[in-house]
Amino acid sequence: MESPPPLKPMNQENINLDPNDARLGTLLRASRVSPTLPPRFQEGVWRRIEEADAPAPSNGGFTWLDALAALVLRPRFALATATVLIVAGALLGVREGSQMVKQDAQARYLATVAPHSLR
Amino acid sequence: MNRSLVILLGALILCAALFGGSYAISRRVCQNCMAKSVSDLDWLQQEFNLNDAELARIQKLHEGYLPKCADMCAKIAAKKSELETALNGSTNINPLAQQKLTELAALRAQCQAQMLQHFTEVSQTMPPDQGRRYLAEMQRLTLGLHEQTESSMSGSMDHEHHQP
Repeated sequence: MESPPPLKPMNQENINLDPNDARLGTLLRASRVSPTLPPRFQEGVWRRIEEADAPAPSNGGFTWLDALAALVLRPRFALATATVLIVAGALLGVREGSQMVKQDAQARYLATVAPHSLR
Repeated sequence: MNRSLVILLGALILCAALFGGSYAISRRVCQNCMAKSVSDLDWLQQEFNLNDAELARIQKLHEGYLPKCADMCAKIAAKKSELETALNGSTNINPLAQQKLTELAALRAQCQAQMLQHFTEVSQTMPPDQGRRYLAEMQRLTLGLHEQTESSMSGSMDHEHHQP
């Protein structure tokens, strides 16, 4: 096996700056240090990325209230809710009103045919 | 105070106002509209699904019954007045008051019998199912109160009897 040529002391004359020099490339590849990664390194990186992307929790803990308030302030939601409430109230009112009228009419009929002294 | 909380509370109050307002207005409107055309027999026609011919027959019976009912009511009122006179100033039930009580009870029984007879006649002019329902409803409404009172009183007396 042929031994490598002896190294010459580095000076201004023998500095090789040619990036295509095969010997230089071999030397650089051999000198590259590849440190070993700590265990679960990749998982840790992804966890930190996810934590950075997530919104910061508020200190009051009212995020659901904020979300609900934002929902309530949406015009479509507000209009739909108001419509449902008005219709439901009106239906209930009509039902109650008609029942009261029916009871009044029943009481009026009874008053004519069955005097209070007999009931 | 949290802004979101204020918004939600305001929304809740607004919702309650909308619901309550529409409920109150519709109930009032419904009562006003339906009460306009109510006569004594409207309840019968609506409740027992009577047609015009059936209603006309009942109307005739009703008009025939009202003077008799008024006459009985006048007799009962007069007898009550006599009873009050007999009881006036008395600390005991004297024989005259006892007699007036008996006569008043007899008049009331006569009036009730007349009323039940009218209910029976009215029920016979209706379709059979509706007639039975009408008769049961009238008996419940006119006689049921007495039954309730009597059963509650007898129940309380039993309770007292069982006490040591």
